[in-house]
Amino acid sequence: MFSFQSEAIFHLGAFRITNTIIDTLLIDIIIFAASFVLAKNIKLVPGLYQNIVEIIIQLFYEIAESVSEKKVKKIFPYFMSFFIFILLANWSGLLPGVNSIGFFEKGKLVPILRSSTSDLNTTLGLALISVAATHILSIKTIGISNYLSRYFSLNPINLFIGILEIISEITKVVSLSFRLFGNIFAGEIVLLTVSSIFAVLLPLPFLLLEVVVGLVQALVFSMLTMAFMAILTTPHHDMLDNTRKARH
Amino acid sequence: MELIKNFGLDPLLLGAQIINFLIIFYILKRFAYKPVLSVLKKREDLIKGSLKQAEESKKILEETLEKEKTILKNTQKKAEKIIEDAKNRTQEIARETEEKTRKQTEYMISTGLGKIAQESKELEKRIALKVSKLAIEFLQKSMQDVFGEKEQKQFLDAALKKIKKVDWYED
Repeated sequence: MFSFQSEAIFHLGAFRITNTIIDTLLIDIIIFAASFVLAKNIKLVPGLYQNIVEIIIQLFYEIAESVSEKKVKKIFPYFMSFFIFILLANWSGLLPGVNSIGFFEKGKLVPILRSSTSDLNTTLGLALISVAATHILSIKTIGISNYLSRYFSLNPINLFIGILEIISEITKVVSLSFRLFGNIFAGEIVLLTVSSIFAVLLPLPFLLLEVVVGLVQALVFSMLTMAFMAILTTPHHDMLDNTRKARH
Repeated sequence: MELIKNFGLDPLLLGAQIINFLIIFYILKRFAYKPVLSVLKKREDLIKGSLKQAEESKKILEETLEKEKTILKNTQKKAEKIIEDAKNRTQEIARETEEKTRKQTEYMISTGLGKIAQESKELEKRIALKVSKLAIEFLQKSMQDVFGEKEQKQFLDAALKKIKKVDWYED
């Protein structure tokens, strides 16, 4: 049966090349190829491929602009990159052969490919980058003193709130990583279970459901990252002012 | 630790995934977002510039048309004035010419009349001379057979004197 841990296909010294790493590398190849082809053939009068890419990028840029306003140029690359990578990783698990083609080891099927986001290492890595980038952007945008004032204060109430903020930053990592991991991992188990019960037609609605889940999860992760970035790049006192204004 | 191990957490894999995503992030930023956003901005600027240029061209065209109208109006006014001036000048010239012609005619008439009078006088003189010669000739021929040479001469001299006297008085 499926295990939380990704399965090692081979080893490079101490480094385990797992099926999720192979999946990640395949996604990398797709992204690199798409980016290089785009960069090489980019023109003022676009072709079909450039047009599609432009539509997608412009759509996401406008979404990011509506949330982050003036900070869009800094936040947009994170938002878009998380979305592209997670979407491709989520959907890669739905391709025929992924999770099903492999070899048997100790009476257990070891698939050669497994969706990258069904590995906690990937989702945790993404969550760590998301939170770290948020804090780096925050320091760069509002300055170190303003950034620290969010967490540390001489006022006991604000200090208590600051401690809660620190805890929330840790929970952000946990929630982002486990939400994505849980959804995709559970989806793959469901598909595997349904396929093992009846392989013809029955998995189809679940596959469609997983397509939607993959898209939604990619959007949730990238949107949350963008929202966190937008919040943390706004000075603390500005946010308090805005809250007071909203109350009145 | 057991829980983390159960979830398959591996620091090496975690590090590899972090590095992998950072590379993807750089590639996408460098080769996808930057060129696409720059092309979009260029296109937007181009469209904005073209629209602005079109607006300016329209404005210039309107101004030119307005100027053309004004120039045409002014030219029409000038042309009307020139025509009016020409008319006045023509009338003036016609009047002057008429006056000049009238004076010339009057002068010609007056000179003609003088000449005619003079010529008439000369003609009269010549007629008188001719008549005198004819009278003398007639007297000579009439007296040839009647009077002697001496008497003829005396008679002719007296007649000549009388004729000359008449001529002088008449002059």
